[in-house]
Amino acid sequence: MSWIKRRWTAAEADRWTKEDYLTFIISPLIYLLLMIGTALSLLLLWYGFLLLGAGVVLLLFMLWVIDPKLKAISEDYEVKQKQYLEDLEKIARWEK
Amino acid sequence: MVHFAFLDWFWVIAFVILMTVCGILFYRLGKRSMADFFLAGRGLPWWLPATSVYATHTATDTPIWVSGVVYQYGLRGLWYTFFSAWCAISAFASTRIFRRSLAYTQAEWQTLRFSGLGAELLRGWIAGWQVFLNMFVLGWVGMAMGKLCNYLFGWPPWVALVFFSTICAVYVLAAGYWGVVMSDFQQGVIAFLVIVIVSVWEIGIAGGPQGIISKLGAMGQSWRLNPFAFSGLTGGDFPLVWFLTMLVIAVIGGFGMGTSIDWYPEAQRIQSAKTVRDASYSIWSGTALILIRNSLWGVAILGFFVLYPNIQKTAQYEMAWYKLGFEYLPVGMVGLFFAAIVAIHLSTISAHLNLGASYATRDLYHHYFKPKATEKELVWVGRVSTLILLIGSFIYGSMMKEITQWLIFALWIMAAGIWLPSILQVVWWRFNSWGYLSSWIANLGLSWLIVWVLPEFRLIPDLPDYLQFWIMMVLGALIYLPITFLTKPEDMDRLVKYYVMSRPLGWWKPVRLEAERRGLVALEAGAAKGGN
Repeated sequence: MSWIKRRWTAAEADRWTKEDYLTFIISPLIYLLLMIGTALSLLLLWYGFLLLGAGVVLLLFMLWVIDPKLKAISEDYEVKQKQYLEDLEKIARWEK
Repeated sequence: MVHFAFLDWFWVIAFVILMTVCGILFYRLGKRSMADFFLAGRGLPWWLPATSVYATHTATDTPIWVSGVVYQYGLRGLWYTFFSAWCAISAFASTRIFRRSLAYTQAEWQTLRFSGLGAELLRGWIAGWQVFLNMFVLGWVGMAMGKLCNYLFGWPPWVALVFFSTICAVYVLAAGYWGVVMSDFQQGVIAFLVIVIVSVWEIGIAGGPQGIISKLGAMGQSWRLNPFAFSGLTGGDFPLVWFLTMLVIAVIGGFGMGTSIDWYPEAQRIQSAKTVRDASYSIWSGTALILIRNSLWGVAILGFFVLYPNIQKTAQYEMAWYKLGFEYLPVGMVGLFFAAIVAIHLSTISAHLNLGASYATRDLYHHYFKPKATEKELVWVGRVSTLILLIGSFIYGSMMKEITQWLIFALWIMAAGIWLPSILQVVWWRFNSWGYLSSWIANLGLSWLIVWVLPEFRLIPDLPDYLQFWIMMVLGALIYLPITFLTKPEDMDRLVKYYVMSRPLGWWKPVRLEAERRGLVALEAGAAKGGN
């Protein structure tokens, strides 16, 4: 699916892109499906299993979409983290 | 009163020892630095803070609350618990931004996002409010355990409040957040397994899934199986507009920081994760577990309804899940059940003891009283703060009957009117500290007027909660938006620094262009055409 970007440079991953927006839409829907699907599945209602299954499939899809980007962000950011932490301590200690 | 056999007491004592020792074992790690005492050194894999999110938000009063709404509204009642879905978007938006800021606490984040006097006022205010709020939550949850033990064993309520909170304080004092998160892991696993076992057992007692469905049908109560059985657009006990308001508050709230009271403990878990990715997954999966747990409880409570359909007193049907467990589980399993209740109780108490102490130590003591304090000294201040919170919680707990109504109101006014400003501070560069500060003050006055004073004097009718929310949001905006535009934007140097570090979402174009001009971020392709 070429519409979804799965190889990211650090600079590209820092921007908010359609992969993020797609995740914002799918993620609440997964919560809804998991919650209602679990309740109705416990009552052994067929549409409960359907909803729960849809929730699991969407969850896998969401991870497929967003995980490469999160990995790229994390790898790049951890390099800069030490400097940022030093700056944070300066603010807490009122240092310029 | 419940009778415990030897095997029951064995489970309880074994689990209490396991939980306490598990926490104390991490004493050496907890004392290394303030970052270890409050954030476990920022090095946890996603599944540890995830179980901590789940365990912290599973308290002794949670099944009481879920039982109440499901008994009253059927499966529709599950939507009352869906407010935690703010994590759906937050996990990939505000969590990412907050983790990159590296702030120890939400109060500290205010001084990274804003600058000058306004930022410092916000930091002091949020820190003080969080110390108070955590003490209150500790008293509230501790007293819920006190009432449960009074129901089970006939103990005076203060006995369980003091006994279990003190046990918990032992490992929080020793190992700080290391103790919290490691105990939360085994407490979360124990609690989830027991919730599954007990709920399935309770469904069986009620006749199994088919039995519950057919009995509800015979009683003319089949609507209880439908989570979308609305009572109309605006009328009845479950109107569509309430549902839509809840969805907006929960889902859109994920773009902000502090749109839910639960943000504050989650913020600590976010910063304790070792990477941005771990932070995102921890918040998302911990909340998914919470929603699945609510469904398990929901169906068990439907089972309780078919067994006891005519209970009128709220205090009685709110005990549904506990009542079924303690009355119908066999000898030996009752003790396991109670051990799981102790687990969920300790996990909540430990989290709030450490969280409240983090605000007292990092934001109040370190930043305002002794900026040059050593790491060793800060760890000790963390321990003293933990102890103060513990003692404060005993005082709040003993006052709870008298002050509950006041404090529920206080929580409402602290949350409703700052929902939108808490999003704006994340997504809009021009929103400044004075705008955010004024929204807190405006909300304080408006909520008193709209929720209490005006209805009391019959100047306006009693409004449903969803309407109160929208009115307070609009009236609050009429105050904080003019204040924002009448005061200066934040210092551009601070905004650029924050932007480069956190890469916020939303309307940040002037700041982004300045950061590009300074060569601090890569030029965006097609930047001239616009973008965020």
